[in-house]
Amino acid sequence: MNLDPEERWRLIDKVARETVEYGTERSTIRSVLAELTVKPLTGIPFALAVLYGFWGFFDAFAGFFTDGFFVPLFDDHWLPWIQEAFPLKGSWLYYILVGDPEAINSFEALGMLTSGFFVAIGVVLPAIVAFYLVITILEDSGYMPRLAVLVDTVLHKIGLHGFAIVPMILSLGCNVPGVASTRTLETKKQRFMMMILLSVFIPCGAQLGVMLSLIPEYFGYIMLYLVTGFFVFGWLLNKLIPGRSPEIITDVPPLRTPTLTNVGRKLWVKVKGFFTNAIPFVLLGVGLVNLLYLGGVISWIANSLEPLFTGWFGIPKETVAPLIAGFLRKDLAVAQLSAIDMSGFQLITSVVIISIYFPCIATFSMIIKEGRKSGGVIKVLSGSLLTLATVVFLWGGLLHLIGILLGVT
Amino acid sequence: MTDTKKLSELDYGEKGVIKKINRSLKDQLLGRGIREGKTIRMDTKQPINGPVVITIDRSTTSLGLNLAKDIFVEVNNGDTSNGSS
Amino acid sequence: MAILLMGHPNVGKSAVFNRLTGANITESNYPGTTVDFTEGYTYIDGKEYKVIDVPGTFSTDPKDEAEKVALDILAEHDDPIVVVVIDSTKIERGLYLAFEIMERGYRTLIALNMWDDAEKHDLRIDVVRLEEILRVPVVPTVAISGKGISTLVEKVPAANRVDIEDLREKVTNL
Repeated sequence: MNLDPEERWRLIDKVARETVEYGTERSTIRSVLAELTVKPLTGIPFALAVLYGFWGFFDAFAGFFTDGFFVPLFDDHWLPWIQEAFPLKGSWLYYILVGDPEAINSFEALGMLTSGFFVAIGVVLPAIVAFYLVITILEDSGYMPRLAVLVDTVLHKIGLHGFAIVPMILSLGCNVPGVASTRTLETKKQRFMMMILLSVFIPCGAQLGVMLSLIPEYFGYIMLYLVTGFFVFGWLLNKLIPGRSPEIITDVPPLRTPTLTNVGRKLWVKVKGFFTNAIPFVLLGVGLVNLLYLGGVISWIANSLEPLFTGWFGIPKETVAPLIAGFLRKDLAVAQLSAIDMSGFQLITSVVIISIYFPCIATFSMIIKEGRKSGGVIKVLSGSLLTLATVVFLWGGLLHLIGILLGVT
Repeated sequence: MTDTKKLSELDYGEKGVIKKINRSLKDQLLGRGIREGKTIRMDTKQPINGPVVITIDRSTTSLGLNLAKDIFVEVNNGDTSNGSS
Repeated sequence: MAILLMGHPNVGKSAVFNRLTGANITESNYPGTTVDFTEGYTYIDGKEYKVIDVPGTFSTDPKDEAEKVALDILAEHDDPIVVVVIDSTKIERGLYLAFEIMERGYRTLIALNMWDDAEKHDLRIDVVRLEEILRVPVVPTVAISGKGISTLVEKVPAANRVDIEDLREKVTNL
């Protein structure tokens, strides 16, 4: 039989009175900190400090390993060695696996065993480790829900609510778990909006790592443009998509000290996942693009898309190759851009377009999976493709326009 | 002296007893232990119509401001008793 | 035979799951870490049990997609044993979900998790008396460190269906 809620609570109150005794609660450093981090006057500066610290650590950690260790290792030892040692110089196999025999750095060699390994292990791996170390600490300390409360005001203006910060932060690591975690949002509208915005505007940790290593000087502008896009299109989608945007209701758990074992375990799961799921895709991406080059497919696509690329977006047609690689891995796509000769502003534009033009294949299949639960695959899929096309066309074109107005193209 | 106001109107640190929760919200909050007769404390309010953070028993919850307007709280000026039902 | 771990978000269900099955799923301190279910196996008295880590839910009336997943899992298993995992510092609202599950006639067992937190906050729960009243096993646990898990395992076969009519009468007369 079922009790009605009032009666259920009446019984529980009696049971509790009989079995539970509330002593006095002392305030501890932790409970004081727990309150300070959620009060606006102290919480907002604290959040900014956390973000800054997050960033500083990421930059220092990834920089230390990539520039200090992997770059010399790959450029001075691995690259020259394999260029010499690999047989069949001039054959198609050499081209696919090793790439350019004259290249002097691993970004520009463009072979599976040269650029492929270097991007995956030398650049992305340190970024992934640094990122998940910080994200894990944010997750385990109980800080995420506090951040959710602080950003609720802003996110509610675009029809989401504060808890949407969780999928956003997870997406900064990898879009796939980010999309999965949209399930905690209440309405189909919120879930759909969030999936689109995440997969379009939030670059993943791997991509961030490559951007930071290759083009640190443009990093800020690119992020600013993407974040602005997030809010502009969030606001638009909120107006266009029917449905409810309920307000936040969330528990704010107490702060806890993260345990070393749990942090270590999570990190291990991520790194293992990277080796088994990501690295094969990076290598496959390099191989595929090289094959398409050899078959003349790339130059054919590049020539047919030239008006769109040079006319509308203002970027060289050669960026078609990285865009194809980007279907598999965004990090690889950004890395391949660096080998193309173009101006600084064109580089910014093409990195932005790489980020927004289409989610990587792993994210895309997650969207299809989640779409089933959020109003049907066809609806979600056609909705996302339509939004995607609009976003790329408008947001990419607008950047070109900005460049023209600034006189920097 | 007691007086009843909306949860959204409580000040920082102010305590009161929940008198009434509007129907639309009631079911949603029942499972979270936010219900009539409980003592509630306002922890913080975020600026520009942001959410409130409240504590009941030992659990802290954040609620949108408009939701907080659907909860009516009796505030006991002076004595802040700790009774839980 | 299936054991479902159910409870509010962020009460340590995944940690209990890891302890029961030796699995390695990750835990975080925010509500909604687990949005999908995870299955594992454990042996108690030589019998194999399928253990499922169910996404957190506040009541049996779902409010979001993760809660819907939780209730679907509850509905699709034939006569499972439900371990209701409760955050001891928030025992009252935890009991609300436990009541809802007991009302639906499931064999139930209660884990009072985060027991160390309750002690720290000077919250005292009379476990023996609670067991006496509810007539289901109640076990204090600290899943993160593993405390109480062996007792929890021992008591799984003793999970009990509750006659709500009786319970109501008994509690009303307390």
